[in-house]
Amino acid sequence: MDAAGIVRTFTTKFPDIDVKTINEHHIEFTVGKDIIRDVITLVDETFPEVIPESAFGVDLGDDKYQVNYMFWSHKDRMIIQLKVNLEGSNPSLPACCDIFSGLEWHERETHEMFGIMFTGHPDLRPLLLPDELVGKYPMRKSFQTDRSRQAETGLPVRKPRPEGGAKK
Amino acid sequence: MTGGAVLQFEWFVDWLRGLPQWVFNIIEVIRGIIYGIYDWLWVVINLLWTLVIDNIFFLFKAVIFPGLIFVVMGLIFFVWFTRKLWGRIQMRRGPMHMGKYGGVQLFADAIKLISKEIIIPDKAHRWAYRFLPSLLLVVVLVPFAFIPWDTVWFIADLSVSLVLVFAFLAAVPVIALLAGWISGSKYSLIGGFRAANNQFAAEIPMIMSSVGPAMLAGSLSIMGIALAQSSVWFIFLLPINFATFLTASIISVGVFPFDAPVADSEIIFGWRTEFSGVYFTLTYFAEFAEQMLYSALMVTFFFGGFYGVPWLPGAVNFIIKFLIMLFVFVTVSSSFHRLRQDQIVRYCWKYLLPLSMLNVIIAMLAIVYVPGLALLLVGG
Amino acid sequence: MTPDILDETVEVWFGPQHVSAHGWATKLKLVGDFIVECDPHAGYFHRSAEKCLEYRNFRQGSPILERLCMLEAFLAEYPYISAVEQIAGLVVPERAKVLRTIMMEASRIHSYQFWWGQLSAEMGFFAMTLWPWVDREFFLDTFEELTGVRHSPHFSTPGGLRFDFTEKVLAKLEKAIQVLEYNMPKFEDMLMKSPLFRMRTEGVGQYSAKEALRWGLSGPNIKACGIPMDLRKDQPDPNLAYDMVDWEVPILEHPDHPGESDAYDRMVQRFNEVKTSVDIIKQLIPQIPDGPIIDPKARAKANRLPEGEAYGRVEGARGITSLWLKTLEKAQTPYRAKIRGPCFHSYYALKHLVPSARFADFIVIFGSLDPYPGWWDR
Repeated sequence: MDAAGIVRTFTTKFPDIDVKTINEHHIEFTVGKDIIRDVITLVDETFPEVIPESAFGVDLGDDKYQVNYMFWSHKDRMIIQLKVNLEGSNPSLPACCDIFSGLEWHERETHEMFGIMFTGHPDLRPLLLPDELVGKYPMRKSFQTDRSRQAETGLPVRKPRPEGGAKK
Repeated sequence: MTGGAVLQFEWFVDWLRGLPQWVFNIIEVIRGIIYGIYDWLWVVINLLWTLVIDNIFFLFKAVIFPGLIFVVMGLIFFVWFTRKLWGRIQMRRGPMHMGKYGGVQLFADAIKLISKEIIIPDKAHRWAYRFLPSLLLVVVLVPFAFIPWDTVWFIADLSVSLVLVFAFLAAVPVIALLAGWISGSKYSLIGGFRAANNQFAAEIPMIMSSVGPAMLAGSLSIMGIALAQSSVWFIFLLPINFATFLTASIISVGVFPFDAPVADSEIIFGWRTEFSGVYFTLTYFAEFAEQMLYSALMVTFFFGGFYGVPWLPGAVNFIIKFLIMLFVFVTVSSSFHRLRQDQIVRYCWKYLLPLSMLNVIIAMLAIVYVPGLALLLVGG
Repeated sequence: MTPDILDETVEVWFGPQHVSAHGWATKLKLVGDFIVECDPHAGYFHRSAEKCLEYRNFRQGSPILERLCMLEAFLAEYPYISAVEQIAGLVVPERAKVLRTIMMEASRIHSYQFWWGQLSAEMGFFAMTLWPWVDREFFLDTFEELTGVRHSPHFSTPGGLRFDFTEKVLAKLEKAIQVLEYNMPKFEDMLMKSPLFRMRTEGVGQYSAKEALRWGLSGPNIKACGIPMDLRKDQPDPNLAYDMVDWEVPILEHPDHPGESDAYDRMVQRFNEVKTSVDIIKQLIPQIPDGPIIDPKARAKANRLPEGEAYGRVEGARGITSLWLKTLEKAQTPYRAKIRGPCFHSYYALKHLVPSARFADFIVIFGSLDPYPGWWDR
């Protein structure tokens, strides 16, 4: 199936998703969080050999978040990118790891790094972070990188970080 | 009133008069005791000295040449030999820097290991933790007393020494299991069970394989088996038996293809995981001593013991063959992938046990139906 | 110990102080000799690479990726560079393309050589561990001659390369391949024909292609199931030179269990991968064109990037390695970089793959997936 065919398949079933064809190997869908599970089920049904390549969050600032799902369909040579825009300080969306179990750890990681709640996820224990960083969501832009060790040395702080993290 | 005072005084005078005698008596008693001890010591020392003089040859054998010091020096050599050979097989150089060809490396390692801090886990049984490694080494070293290095140079010979040696060796996995149990660690416990399981699998084929030589020799004494090979080595009569014995002994020691009890990539060091410092050194030496013991037994059972090149002393013949067996042991144990525990048991019971039983039957039939065999064995 | 020990589960922590568990830990529940539950724990190597990337400019970022997997460093740094090149619109000179491809394939071979040894060490055959590592030294010598270091070369940079091939490098590379081709049949015999190795690996850690796709496995782990999923062929990268070579994706169709792979198949598959890589390098070496290795304006262009999103991908030695990059207008640093390590999925797959295996087989299953802790911890 070529890119146009895939776009047609998705837009006929879900008319209100935004489509952006990046190149002949990469299509981007912007999906609402209420239909994300249905779209991923459609991905599962449409492509016979598809792997869940990745899932990750992006902090867009001002309590706006984005969750990206990446799927790679080997037979159609197509990256399917699903973008879900979220708002709020503790946003949530339904978990999709029961459809593709490979997404389970990605969602776990996104939860601990961004504080995005995946409702229905079976196991949201912290994956990578140590205990003292649980609930601090270090990949958010508002998280200040820790400089406490430098204060211990007594040396002057050479380059103080700007307010708001690395954005500016 | 004065009369009472006089009476008291007289009593005191009497007491004073008796005092020298009393002191003298005490001195006499002490002198008696000292003389008694002295006489007794004299007798004992005389007796001991006579014993030493009478048994000086036996003592020399037990302590120095085929005995303790020889075996321990051999052990140290063997550890160096193993490491060097492993290094060569693995395209490394092995120990290099301590002494010529790394010869004193083992002393350096031993000093390092002995001087290390001993860390006993909280859950370990402390008394057994300290006691078991030494017991293990002793149990492995004692059977060396029955190895016939020469017709003259041997320590002890019993009519049932074969059975006794296997009785001692059967205690090794029990100690391993106990060591795994008392270490208070799950990995140690798994390793202990695996060690017991290994022995459970390998012991029957091993003892069965030693029945063949014993029957041909008509003796349960290791010395008797060695003496029976004056004209022909048993390796030529019982080749399959040798193969089964070699395999079973490798399994029983638990070195490389069959080292599931101490598999470092699976269960760290098995039942040895928690041993530290000098206790680890003892268990480590015990494994090498066990390999040496099995090599010596194989030389005795199948390679004619001290027979060989006629103009060489028997002990030299024995030691040459012993070194060749050690070489085989080390080479085999460094060139295979490890088997799983269930595969070891299946292998032993499916192939080793029937083969060794078959050999016993063949040996029996041969003894009964081949008339020349008895003459050959006797040396005619 | 009660007699009904088989009814009770024993919880065993495999790692992080375990000899074989170098930087990871797995909680296993055993019933007798069998594993009934496996809970892989990650995070022992977490160095927040993604957050670090947000504080580095675009030419400083790739060394961070190399640290994630030192064995395939030339491959690991590429997704970031590819993403930066896509956003900046950089075109790589022809010579740089070919040299990049050659070094990536050499890195892949080097990674598999390490892996043969590692798998043998996990099965207790330490001689077989060190023999391939001796040959691996020749590749490390090549890397050293080329970049000055044996690990973490920092070879590519956005828009080209930092180091050029000399005659000496080519001679060393050819020597390394010569040694490899001389010794590889022996290793194949030692491993594939060894009955003990077959006993340990055949039927161990077997999964079907369907399961593997669900878990997100990629690379040799899925090619061993018979699915020719290979980014080198599927998604030809304009900045790499795979289209200059005539080659086929190596896949494995086992006659007894088509569509499934066990530890033995994955080992065979990795030997085939090495043969393909050698083939590619041998075809590319005569085709190296003359010319510059970096666009002279690349440095300036990579200083500030326009707003954009890009997805850099490469077929790593362990599977699909990719990096999603988002930049803002006139960005000096990435806004967000997400690293997708292939072993994130193969380590996760242990959770489904290990239960009902024997305890001794756990490390064989783990080794057969060829995971590297840096990839999942990042």
